[in-house]
Amino acid sequence: MNKIENKAHKFGMVIDLDKCTGCGSCMVSCMSENNVPFKEDESNKKDSITWMRVYKLTNGKSFPDTEIVYLPRPCQHCGGKGDHGHSPCVSVCPATATDYGYDTGIVSQIYTRCFGCRYCMGACPYHARYFNWWDPKWPEGMEKYLSPDVSPRMRGVVEKCSFCFHRYQAAKDKAYYDGRDDIEEDEYQTACTTACPSGAIVFGDLNNPAHRVHEIVKPDPHPWPNNPNVVGKSRNPNVFRLLERLGTNPKVYYLSEREWVRKAGDNYLDGEWDKIKNHHGSESHG
Amino acid sequence: MKVDRRSFLGLGLGAVAGFSVSPVLLKLTDDSSIWTQNWPWTPVPVDGEVSYENSVCSLCPGSCGISVRKIDDRPVKIEGLDEYPINNGGACLHGISGLQYLYDPARVKSPLKKNGDKFEEISWDDAISVIAGKLNDIRTAGSPEKFVCIADKDRGSVPELFKRFLKTFGSSNFYTMPGFESYLKLTAEAMHGKGMTIGFDLENSDFVLSFGAGIIEGWGSPVSCFKANASRKEREAKLYQIEPRLSNTAAGADKWLPIKPGTEADLALGICSFILKHNLYAATAAVRFKGGLNKFAAQLQNDYSLSKTSEITGIKESEIEEIATLFAKAKMPIAVFGKGKGDASQSLKEFIAVQTLNCLMDNINKKGGVFIQPVKTYLEFPEETLDDVAKEGNEKPRLGQYVHDLFEKINTSSQPVVDTLFVYQSNPCYALHDTKTIKQAVGKIPFVVSFSSFLDETAKEADIILPVHTFIERLEDVPSGAGLSKTVVGLSKPVVKPVFNTKLPGDILLLLAKALDGTVAENFAWESYDECLETVAKNIWDSLFQDGYAILEEGVPEESVEVNVAFLTGNPSSIQATGDGELMLIPIDNMRLPSAAPAASPFSIKTVSDEVLKGRDTVVEINPKTAKGLKNYDYVALTTPVGTAKVMIHLNEGIMPGVVGMVKGLGHSFDNKYVSNKGVNINELIGPVIEPGSGLDAAFGVKAKISKA
Amino acid sequence: MSKKENKNESGSAESAGECTAGDTKDDKGLGLGVIFFILAFVICFLSGTLLFPKLLYSKKEQPFNFNHELHVGETGDCESCHAIREDGSFNGIPKLAKCQECHTETPLGETEDEAVFTEMYVAKEKEVPWYVYSRQPDCVFFSHAAHTKTEGMDCVTCHGPIGTSTNLKPYEENRITGYSREIWGQNIWGIKKHSWDRMKMDDCAECHKKETGHQGYCFQCHK
Repeated sequence: MNKIENKAHKFGMVIDLDKCTGCGSCMVSCMSENNVPFKEDESNKKDSITWMRVYKLTNGKSFPDTEIVYLPRPCQHCGGKGDHGHSPCVSVCPATATDYGYDTGIVSQIYTRCFGCRYCMGACPYHARYFNWWDPKWPEGMEKYLSPDVSPRMRGVVEKCSFCFHRYQAAKDKAYYDGRDDIEEDEYQTACTTACPSGAIVFGDLNNPAHRVHEIVKPDPHPWPNNPNVVGKSRNPNVFRLLERLGTNPKVYYLSEREWVRKAGDNYLDGEWDKIKNHHGSESHG
Repeated sequence: MKVDRRSFLGLGLGAVAGFSVSPVLLKLTDDSSIWTQNWPWTPVPVDGEVSYENSVCSLCPGSCGISVRKIDDRPVKIEGLDEYPINNGGACLHGISGLQYLYDPARVKSPLKKNGDKFEEISWDDAISVIAGKLNDIRTAGSPEKFVCIADKDRGSVPELFKRFLKTFGSSNFYTMPGFESYLKLTAEAMHGKGMTIGFDLENSDFVLSFGAGIIEGWGSPVSCFKANASRKEREAKLYQIEPRLSNTAAGADKWLPIKPGTEADLALGICSFILKHNLYAATAAVRFKGGLNKFAAQLQNDYSLSKTSEITGIKESEIEEIATLFAKAKMPIAVFGKGKGDASQSLKEFIAVQTLNCLMDNINKKGGVFIQPVKTYLEFPEETLDDVAKEGNEKPRLGQYVHDLFEKINTSSQPVVDTLFVYQSNPCYALHDTKTIKQAVGKIPFVVSFSSFLDETAKEADIILPVHTFIERLEDVPSGAGLSKTVVGLSKPVVKPVFNTKLPGDILLLLAKALDGTVAENFAWESYDECLETVAKNIWDSLFQDGYAILEEGVPEESVEVNVAFLTGNPSSIQATGDGELMLIPIDNMRLPSAAPAASPFSIKTVSDEVLKGRDTVVEINPKTAKGLKNYDYVALTTPVGTAKVMIHLNEGIMPGVVGMVKGLGHSFDNKYVSNKGVNINELIGPVIEPGSGLDAAFGVKAKISKA
Repeated sequence: MSKKENKNESGSAESAGECTAGDTKDDKGLGLGVIFFILAFVICFLSGTLLFPKLLYSKKEQPFNFNHELHVGETGDCESCHAIREDGSFNGIPKLAKCQECHTETPLGETEDEAVFTEMYVAKEKEVPWYVYSRQPDCVFFSHAAHTKTEGMDCVTCHGPIGTSTNLKPYEENRITGYSREIWGQNIWGIKKHSWDRMKMDDCAECHKKETGHQGYCFQCHK
């Protein structure tokens, strides 16, 4: 049994929303890397397939106190309640077309296995999954740029971000060839991470304290006292996850110095935010 | 023997049972499920050996290094090149989409000749001989100056070859489309002397005061600017953004100061006035100013008191005071100019007013400041030999100073002033203000040749289209410009064999020159463009070829620079928007949409928000206060003195009341269903406004009305 | 209506009469049914087992014959031609350039196949359009490096003793799926005697389960 498989990684991402400019490089890099198709009209965002989508948030204030922030949203690769691998989508798939890789923490999507019931789309709280309502078609000759690392999809299946798993496979292959027993941090980086001109995305192994993502997130190994289903809460007061209190335990974290941005990551009842905002996991295990 | 019902039953059951226990059912179930997973029309990309080739992107003036991933001979992905001196790894969405340009079936696939309303394919030989014939006729008629060329830029070996072609032919009528780089040169020439240009050391400045410069909207060299912006947090540098709309730059800035459109120059002068009045300027600055500061200061005190500036710009006096003080007290402040992406229409007065702020703080040629130095040349062409026709032609006056003057002249003259027009890699019929009149002017030119990879709006008006390689198929030197603090020349290398029957622009010129009479041919004696480039770039060729780039200039320049504010002391009037509507329509530069040539790619269009483009409609932004009962996605008729368009509206708290914001880069009208016929081209709604003193088209917007459609 | 009823009545009476007339007749009817059953069963079973595979697969000849034994003898091992690249990926069937390291336009031997090769492909710089027996569907990712390099598995384990063959067997393409017969295996039942007889997902999973204790997660082998 080889050692690379043996070590349990937990690949994750932290996105600095104060650095994100909303330029769209991550979206296009993702589409180009993963053979994501395009249609004549992509302005209906409900059927526009974007594994990585950049949302625009505003603080809701009127001119001139308005503020904008852009929030890139890949698949959150949820660990599910208690981080046991029961991601919302994986739990509902009747075809085992999506599973949770306990060795990587990455939620898979196997297009040839999927029969298009779209339960997973209903289960996903982040709208990270997309359905192929039509067969993808490339204008004549453009299929020449398709990458052999990612299978093109067909009509009737669901697709989503894979954290560029093929890049992990390639990095592992290289390590096998060199006779190394693990990959380096920079050998496996997602296409959005490497494309970001602002360096707003940091990707790596949340289980590896030497990785930058771990340094920034400082994930709490213990369940959150407020909700034991929440595991891996960041001990960095500026870091948050989307809808964190659901206990889906996403592996995509967000960073912002602005309080309204952090608050926008979840829905709060009146007064709830003030009670909750200073809970940043157990400090004792720092 | 009697075969009865039971026998048939037996036969049937036997058959079913027989097949059931045979492998048929099992195998067919397995095979048919595999069959449903592999439709023949779902492409299966061919696998092969992975390799990476380095090159340079020339889609915009950014000139980023790129790394192209290939599977055998097939490029599959473009990424930013690590450690390239301009972008160091990052890439913008347009560069990453590059392969969509390369393989676009809507490309011009072979030379085309217009026949009536349609284009038909012709051979390269025929195309060259038709064009050479026309050009020889012009020379024979003794009016070589009627041969005009418009190019996208004026630096690099290809623009130089075009200029050389024109000069040896006998015409001085070479024009470029408006670009940030040419504005930088213009400003530097007006203030600091001929041959100078300006660069901003953004990555080392601790306070950037931006007068509408879309630092993260594609201004200057976009990826380089993104990087400088991103490192602000670590460097504790501040960015203050002055513009009428909460752009992404404003949203990312430490402070956004909404300003009345078109009054940026007044604010800059108001701040100058405050700084001078309170002696906040650098002690070393005064000696740089030609003729001293006193007269200039007195003039400003008179014209731009705090209250007056506040009244003009709509910014509170206290805020003007605050930014002036912060700017003056910063260790290394920079004021930057060039609204939006810094290209298109701009005002020289505004540029000079903002640059004066830099000069007052004496941040010139200091780390983190503004770099002013001579434009670096790196190409050495042999001396031209001109025959008499050429000599005479070159002595005749140019048709106009700028490209918009040229079209104005064509439209207003009763005599044909242009006989043949070459348009190289630019799209004036889309990108210049009041496109209708531009098209009209192009229509008046007897013979138009377009050097283009795509059948864009201008190419459609041409008589002959000569298809050129896209940047991925090209060998070409790519000089950086665009306000960077360093000058780098990159080498764009052919990463893939030409996909269609296209040529290098340089090679086309060599072919044309050889088919011409007179001394033109002898000035183009190279065998091929490859040979030409290697010869004329010989000083940097080794480094270009081996490293993929050559750094011409890096670090803080040592030049001592004079400052001349004569343009301002001449008291030029400010630009006024035309029209009488109660609203002001301003263009919005959006990083995800290229505003000029080439048009957007399918990927970049896909990323555009549905608050900008919805179906086939442009969505314009207005403040809810201006909306008067209109709701999101209501259709309105937007009317300006130049035209009317049906658009949808989006209520945005981030835009000043009274202002309508409309994105640039939509409304293309060529044949490509993924990127064209979507929305409105804002240049159909805005007309040129000529700035007194500079002659630039400085329209920043236009007065407009909206009514429910 | 009454006619029909009558007919039915008489019909049933007739058969009832027959029944009562003698048991032998009844036995004979059943016996005939059984015979037909057995006959049909045997025919269908045999055709499902023997004829069906012939219909399911179309045979395709390789462009020319290739003698693996000879080449292994000359080069010493499989890896000389089927190699793992420096980036850890597998080159699969070597490209023409690899062959040209030894072969020129002048044949090295005297076989007809080599003549075809040099004439049709080497001289024309054309890649040989080999049919690949072990080609998996596009959705499959397989790391040769992980299996052969890290785990030290032998090529034979999955590919069988192809290295000692002197002839290329005909390529059999499944008419429904378009894939090689080798994936399902020669045995139409899917029964395998050797580890290399089948290359279906279950075969991968079986070995993984045995060797690593876990059949693996989807993404380990799918893309």
